[in-house]
Amino acid sequence: MTTRVTQLSMQRSTLANLQLNMAAMASLQERMSSGTKISVPSDDPAGTSDVLALRRQQASMTQYGRNADDATAWLTTLDSTLSSSLVSVRRARDLTVQGGNGALGAQAREALATEIEGVRDGLLSQANATYLGRTVFAGTSNAGVAFTTATAADGTRTYSYTGTVNGETPAVERRLGDDVTVRVDGDGAAVYGDGDDSVFALLDKVAAALRSPDGDPTQYLDAIDARYSAMLTGSSSVGARQNRVDAAKSALQSSTLNVTTQLGNVQDIDLAQVILDLESQQVAYQGALGATARTLQPTLLDFLQ
Amino acid sequence: MSTFSGISTALSSLQAQRQALEVAGQNIANAGTAGYTRQRADLTAVSASTPAMFSTSTSVGGGVRVTDVQRLSDAFLDAKVRAATTAAGTLSAQATAYSTLETTLGEPAKTALSGQLSALWSAWSDAGNQPDDGAARSVVLEDARTVVGTLQTLYRGVASQWDQTRTSTVSLVDQVNASAASVADLNDRIRAITTSGGSANELQDQRDQLVTQLSSLVGATTQARADGTVDVLVGGGTLVQGAHAAALAVAGATSFAQAAGGSAVTIEWADRPGATVALTGGQVAGQLHVLGPADPSGTGGVLTEAAAQVDAVATALATQVNALHQAAYTTDGQAGGELFHLDPGSASAALGLSVSVTDPTRIALSDDPAKPLDGSVGDAISRLGASAGGPDATWASAVVTIGTRAQAASSRAAVAEAARSTAEQQQVANASVDVDSETVDMLSFQRSYEGAARVLTAIDDMLDTLINKTGSVGR
Repeated sequence: MTTRVTQLSMQRSTLANLQLNMAAMASLQERMSSGTKISVPSDDPAGTSDVLALRRQQASMTQYGRNADDATAWLTTLDSTLSSSLVSVRRARDLTVQGGNGALGAQAREALATEIEGVRDGLLSQANATYLGRTVFAGTSNAGVAFTTATAADGTRTYSYTGTVNGETPAVERRLGDDVTVRVDGDGAAVYGDGDDSVFALLDKVAAALRSPDGDPTQYLDAIDARYSAMLTGSSSVGARQNRVDAAKSALQSSTLNVTTQLGNVQDIDLAQVILDLESQQVAYQGALGATARTLQPTLLDFLQ
Repeated sequence: MSTFSGISTALSSLQAQRQALEVAGQNIANAGTAGYTRQRADLTAVSASTPAMFSTSTSVGGGVRVTDVQRLSDAFLDAKVRAATTAAGTLSAQATAYSTLETTLGEPAKTALSGQLSALWSAWSDAGNQPDDGAARSVVLEDARTVVGTLQTLYRGVASQWDQTRTSTVSLVDQVNASAASVADLNDRIRAITTSGGSANELQDQRDQLVTQLSSLVGATTQARADGTVDVLVGGGTLVQGAHAAALAVAGATSFAQAAGGSAVTIEWADRPGATVALTGGQVAGQLHVLGPADPSGTGGVLTEAAAQVDAVATALATQVNALHQAAYTTDGQAGGELFHLDPGSASAALGLSVSVTDPTRIALSDDPAKPLDGSVGDAISRLGASAGGPDATWASAVVTIGTRAQAASSRAAVAEAARSTAEQQQVANASVDVDSETVDMLSFQRSYEGAARVLTAIDDMLDTLINKTGSVGR
C-alpha cells in the first residue's frame, strides 16, 4: 500500500519530529546543566536505590570520622595526663628512696614529706583531668571530678572514686564503624586506685612515715612500684586504642573515597559524552529544520503559469 | 433525438464541472483546517433515453451530472484512531500523575527526606558522644522536627495532588457531557439534512472530532446508523443515541481521607445515581485509577499507596525510636518516655506524628540510671538508619518502587502515544487535502468546462447554419 502524503500530514509529522528533536535536546541540556543523570527516581530506579544507599553510607562515614576525631581528642588527653602521672610517681619513688636514708635529719624528712604531698596534689589534679568539661577518668559519672577528697578531724584524708557503677567503671565508647567501637576513657580506679588503695592514700602514708621519727618510708616502695606498673598498663592500653583509632580513620578515608567514586559513577554525567550527544543532536535538529524549510514550501502552483 | 438536446448535454457538463470546481475550491480552502475530510464530486454520465420503437437515430447519452459529494473518510482508520486515543489517554493520565508525584518526593536530592533522616541519625550519634552537651541535644530535637515536618509536607503534597486530580476529573466529565450533547445535536441536524437529500459532510467532520475527543476522555466507541446518525457507547452503556444524550457524573470519595480509607471515586449515570459506568479506557479512567484506594498487591491508586508509604515511614520512625528511647534514662536518671508521639486518632500516621519532647534535657541517652553520662542509647538510635527494617530502608524502597512504576508508566504512555500518533498520521494522510492533486483536478475541471463551452459554440454555429444560412439558394 502506498501511503498518501499531503501537505497537512507532512506538516504534522515534521512538527512531531521537530518536537521530538527539541525534547531530546532539552533532556540533554538538563543533564548537562544539572550535572546529574538522576534528577527524579524514574530516570534510573536501580541507580536511585544505589544513590540512596551510598548517600546513607557516606553520611554514616562522615559521622564515624567525627567520632574518630573525638576519640583521638579523648585519648590524647588521657595519654598526656598519664605521661605526667608516670613522671610524678617516679619522682615520688625517688623521694621515698631518699627518705629511707637513715642519716637524714627531721627537717630534711619534713621537706621530703612536703614534696611528696605536692606530688600527690599534682596526681590528684591529673586524675581529675577533663576534656570539654568532662572528666576523662570518671566513666559515665557526672560528679565533675573522678576522685573526691574528704579530710577527717584528725587530719587523715580519704579518697573515693566516683566512676564505679556495679563494681566496675562503665566504658565510654565511640563508634568508628558499623561494628567497631573503641573505648576512649580511662578507668580511673584501675590507674590511680580507689579509696585506701589509691596512689593518693599511699603517698599520704609515705608522708606520714617520713614525718614520724622512726617511720620507714621504704616499706611502701613495693606498693609504689605496683601502682607505677598499673599506670604503665593504662598508658600502653591508651596507646593501643589510639592505634586502633588511627587504623579505623585511615580505613574510613579510603572507604569514603570509594563511596564517593561509586556515587559519582552512578549519578554523575559523563561530560564528554553528553557534550558529544548534544552536538550530534544539534546537527540532527538543524538538519530537520533545513529539510522542513525545503519540503513545506513548494506546491504545484509554483510551477504552473 | 431532439435537435437541441446537444445544448442541454453541454449545459449539464458546464454545471457539473462548475460544481466539481466548487468542491475542489472547498477542499483547498480547508487544506489546513483541523478535522476536515476531503470531498470529491462524483460525476456520473447521464444515460441515453430508451429509443422509441421506430426511431432511426442512435441515441447518445444525455451529458453528466453530480450524483453525490462524497466524503473520503475511512471508517477503519477512524476506529483505529479512536482505539489508540483511548489507550493513550488512559496511560498518559497515569504517567502524568506519577511524574507529578516524583517531583513531590524530591528524591534523590540531598535535601530530601533521606538526607534529613541521615542528619537526624548523625545528631543522635553526636548527642550520644556528648550527653552533657545541651547543644547536641537541641540539634536532635530540631532535626527530629524537620523530619516530622517533611513527612507531613510529603503527605499533604500527595493529598493535594489527589484533590487536584479529582477536580480535573470533574471538569473532564463536564467536558464529556458537553461533547455528548453536541454530538446529539449534530446527529439531529445531520439526519435532517441527509433525509432532505443534502450534504452534511462538514457537520460529520465536526461530529467525528467530538467523538474522537470522547474516545480520548472516556473510551467511547461508536455505532453508525442508517439515517446518518451515530450512537456513542461508553462502558457498555449508551451515551448518545440519535438526538438524545445522557450525562455522566463523578461520585464516590470526595476527599483524600476517604480515598485513603478505601473508598473509590466512580463515574455514574447522572439520571440514575448509583449506576456505575465501568470505564474501560480514556483519560478519565486513567485518573480514576490514580484516585483509587490502596491495594495490598500494589495495583491500587497511585496516590493513596504513596501516602501509605509515607505513613509507613512515619510509623517505623516513631515506634523504633520510641522503643529505644523509652528504655533509656536522662542524665538525672528519669525514664525517657516517648520521643515521637503518634496520635492514635489521626487517620494518617504522618499527619498524627509530632515530637513530644520539647525540653532538650528530657532526651534520654543512658541505658542505666546509675550512668548519667552514658551515651550508648544515642549510638543505638543512630544505628536505626542502617537497620534493614528502619525508616530509611522503608523510605528508600518506597522511592524506588515509585520510580520503577513511574518509569514503566512513562514508557507505556510513550508507546501508546506513538501508536496514537501513527494511527492519526494514517488518518490525516488519508483524509487531509493534497493541494497538488486538487490543483490537477482543478485544471481538468477547467479544461472540461472550456470544452463544454466549445461544444455549446459548435452547436450554436450549427444551428446558425441551419436557421440563418439554409433556404437562401438563389436569393
